[in-house]
Amino acid sequence: MALSPLQKTPRMPLALPGFEHVKRGWNAAHECYAARIMPGEYYVTKNDESVYTTLGSCISACIRDRVLGIGGMNHFMLPATDLTEADAWKSASISASTRYGNYAMEHLINEILRNGGKRQNLEVKVFGGGRILANMTDVGLRNIAFVRDYLKVEGLRVTSEDVGDIFPRMVVYFPATGKVRVKRLRSLHTNTIASQEKSYIESIKAKPVSGDVELF
Amino acid sequence: MTVSASDLVQDIGGLITLPDVYLRINRLIEDPDSSIAGIAAAVSQDPSFTVRLLRVANSALYSFPSSIDTVTRAVTIIGTSQLRSLALSMSVAKSFSGLPNELVSMENFWRHSLLCALAARHLAREMRRCDPDALFTAGLLHDIGELVIFNRLPDQAVEVLQRVLDSQDELPVYDAEREVLGFDHSDVGGELARQWNLPTLLQECIAHHHDIATAQKHPRETALIHIANVIALMAEVDTLDPEDVPRIDPHAWEVTGLDEDVVEPAMRAAQVEVVEIEQLFLDQK
Repeated sequence: MALSPLQKTPRMPLALPGFEHVKRGWNAAHECYAARIMPGEYYVTKNDESVYTTLGSCISACIRDRVLGIGGMNHFMLPATDLTEADAWKSASISASTRYGNYAMEHLINEILRNGGKRQNLEVKVFGGGRILANMTDVGLRNIAFVRDYLKVEGLRVTSEDVGDIFPRMVVYFPATGKVRVKRLRSLHTNTIASQEKSYIESIKAKPVSGDVELF
Repeated sequence: MTVSASDLVQDIGGLITLPDVYLRINRLIEDPDSSIAGIAAAVSQDPSFTVRLLRVANSALYSFPSSIDTVTRAVTIIGTSQLRSLALSMSVAKSFSGLPNELVSMENFWRHSLLCALAARHLAREMRRCDPDALFTAGLLHDIGELVIFNRLPDQAVEVLQRVLDSQDELPVYDAEREVLGFDHSDVGGELARQWNLPTLLQECIAHHHDIATAQKHPRETALIHIANVIALMAEVDTLDPEDVPRIDPHAWEVTGLDEDVVEPAMRAAQVEVVEIEQLFLDQK
């Protein structure tokens, strides 16, 4: 397809150090660059660009400094444990499982603070945790319970959320303004999203997180 | 090596066949010497179809004042050509169970098709000279090419859906298919409908529902299915916001003479009706 001179897109802004590998592309509808994150990844930006992902039972936290407009999105889930109750993560015996959630949340928050964000200015939005496969145990609920509790303990207030239900979601976040677009996806996409999340879970099981992340 | 839509359809020739009950009824309806009794007898040869037909005849789809308890009465009341549409609709899911795939569950696939069928039936009743049963069948069959692609070209199909998600769900599935495969599911479905010698109305609705300007003989019905497809997507994710679903081609409103006020009632009706009739149309063991 030939590029018409009228459709010339601006040069892609530089990614913050550590995020150069994240795939970005021009989004004509929103007229900005958009970073695509996959399960287990996160992306933080100071630029006027968006971050997007697709969610099944995983969670994405969208966090930004609402004064400076620095922020980003993560995408994670807790690996399954033997306990099945929705609040099973509270048990000390499964701290190994919540470690993945802590890790994802702390990385996102620390990266925002490292780039000049102020803790007292943080604005948090939470998405995902859907029950997209009817015949599976509801792992989404456990992820929702984890992230709510994590934010409570950290004293961070959630200003908006869209969690649970049965739909896969497309989440597009604009850290500069805090705007979020959540779109329910049709079931045609369920298996693609479920299999991406499954390979993520298998990869973290094979490669456990070592050590703890220090919070600023 | 590049494959064409007709290669794919050739490939699956032996895997899926038109339902026997449809073929029997079709043969009798084409035969000028046939009688209602003969058609009823052909229906009765398939006990499971007979039971489901009577349940459909007594369901909310047909608001007949009295209960219909014999096949002959069902055939008389529903009408023979409508019966042919119903026979195809009620058996097609079973025919396609021979084409399994990893990408979409048959349940989810047929639920979308059924929502489209119900929305189409609703819209057809708002239009003059439009057979609601034929449009129901067209809605049910509109995406059958998808099942062929998913079964025959699974790796490319994964790439198609990934492109759609990478585009923030803005790239339509059929455009992603054209990019990856060189053709889309409406080409494949249209080819299959031709090979099966389905009525031209069905052939055109299946082949042109994403590109309604190319329909030759049945532009109104094709445009109606185009609208019904978008309504089915709205019903599935339970939204009335046009931003959440693909855009309805403005030309479709002109061709059908319908206006946007039909969307909400058709969507709500489809959401309610699908619960009742899902079991009657989906794969029967």
